[in-house]
Amino acid sequence: MKTSFYVLTVLAGLTIVNIVQANAAEPQQAIPPAAQLCTSCHGAQGQGIDIIGPRLAGLSAEYITNQLKLFHAGKRQNPTMLAMAATVQGDNIGLVAQYFSQQPVADISLQFRGDKVAISDPSERLAFQGDWSRTIPACTSCHGPSAIGGGNFPRLAGQQASYIKTQLLAWQDGTRTGDVDNMMGNIARKLTAAEIDGLSQYFANIK
Amino acid sequence: MKLLSLLSIGVLFSLPLQANEMLTEVPATASAALPDRQAALPAVPKKVGENYLQPASLTDIPAGVFGDKVRLGYQLFVNTQTLRDKYVGNQLSCANCHMNAGQQANSSPLWGAYFAYPAYRKKNDKVNSFQERVQGCFTYSMNGKAPESGSPELVAISAYSYWLGMSGLMAQYNVSGPVPELSDAELVKGAMRDDFPMPEAIAKNLDTKALSQLPGRGFPKAPEPELAYAPERGMIVYQAHCQTCHGEDGQGQIIAGVAALPPLWGPQSFNWGAGMHRVNTAADFIYENMPLGKSVPLTVQQAWDVAAYVNSFDRPQDPRFDGDVSKTQATYHQHQGYYGQSVAGKPILGTDSYPVFPLKNTVKP
Repeated sequence: MKTSFYVLTVLAGLTIVNIVQANAAEPQQAIPPAAQLCTSCHGAQGQGIDIIGPRLAGLSAEYITNQLKLFHAGKRQNPTMLAMAATVQGDNIGLVAQYFSQQPVADISLQFRGDKVAISDPSERLAFQGDWSRTIPACTSCHGPSAIGGGNFPRLAGQQASYIKTQLLAWQDGTRTGDVDNMMGNIARKLTAAEIDGLSQYFANIK
Repeated sequence: MKLLSLLSIGVLFSLPLQANEMLTEVPATASAALPDRQAALPAVPKKVGENYLQPASLTDIPAGVFGDKVRLGYQLFVNTQTLRDKYVGNQLSCANCHMNAGQQANSSPLWGAYFAYPAYRKKNDKVNSFQERVQGCFTYSMNGKAPESGSPELVAISAYSYWLGMSGLMAQYNVSGPVPELSDAELVKGAMRDDFPMPEAIAKNLDTKALSQLPGRGFPKAPEPELAYAPERGMIVYQAHCQTCHGEDGQGQIIAGVAALPPLWGPQSFNWGAGMHRVNTAADFIYENMPLGKSVPLTVQQAWDVAAYVNSFDRPQDPRFDGDVSKTQATYHQHQGYYGQSVAGKPILGTDSYPVFPLKNTVKP
């Protein structure tokens, strides 16, 4: 029920988006037809629309492809995305992934591990130094400097806080799976509620 | 080829010059005189319920000149790529193999090593100061060029190691106040010596021998595998548990020009002289520390097999290579490793190895 409502809203929105697109200055890249539907929640350039759809720009094609397949397989769960992902199949998976992976993200000055030594903010400390008393490696040891992501590891910098939080909670309670050896689930389970809140805000604010 | 030989001669000759403050005799000749006594990294049996040294928090490093050296040491250790082309010739950082910036027990922590030097080292057949040990890391593990003795980099890494260890010991034995500052000349020697300024409260509990064998030092020795290790089984382990991070081709995950996750073989990894090319050392490391975050435990057999797999590919040449692989193998590789051997019908490893200390822009991606 809820799903079909979302679908309708999305389809209605799609028309509006198309009109807006037509009036805007030359878009940087034509939206492939298969990605049209996605843009109504994720934005024409995958920039994300807060609460409705997370940002896709800045994610690798490899990662986006993987996520679509995980939705297909039921290893990621979200009523809207369950229906939406089903509309992208076969070669379109690659086309959609390519398109969004090539969309621009803000140029940020990168913070590498080691740039800062004494870190007082607990979220920043987890991000760059981890907490080895709980065998939590630094987030940036996989997600890269300033958590800009690469390959299988998604960009967290500038992602919506609400989305990061939802995902960490989903990893924690096992409703999101699909990582090799449950790599991320294993980390998320060690995080406290306050840490999840803090990290979500911290990464969202890297802009 | 010629350049390589010149380089290795340079490296080897520079060592004796630096060592004059150290004790024993210095070998008169370079590589040819050294038998295969390349020491494995310390592999110590792991005991249950051991208490490991707890270094103070990095936020406790004091302000001032001494603290600055400690901080620089941390920074170089975590992002060693800041020394690329100066002293580093691959994509690695020290912290890739020493978890938690060299603070983690059973991951060859710096605080464990600092109190175990100066020490006799079979690899170059003499007593090595702490800084000489670290120079070895640059030559082999970092496939680079050792910073000169007393250089700011070696002072900094020594200061960081000392500070980690001493702050941990002071906490353990209730010694109040800041970590005593040492001169650069003192710092680079290491702490296993009678004239090391050790606070009385610590010295009366631990003598230099006990300090050189702190629990958690080195990598714990992995139990022997049931079957002889085999790279072909290791490939299956690698594909299942390792390649998501290290890549199908073992070249790691490079983000913004820096390896977030390190290359394990090929031109951007450690060279054939590094301890980690030994299957046993890699197995010890992997069994204890991998996969990162320990979401699943590998079995003993898996750790050995995948260690063999990773070390069955070519990598940068052994800096002691003098033009003859079989000779280099006979002299320096009488241990568990694949240098000088052919694995799975591939060319003999070492015959076409990658360059030692290449400039970054000369390495093909």
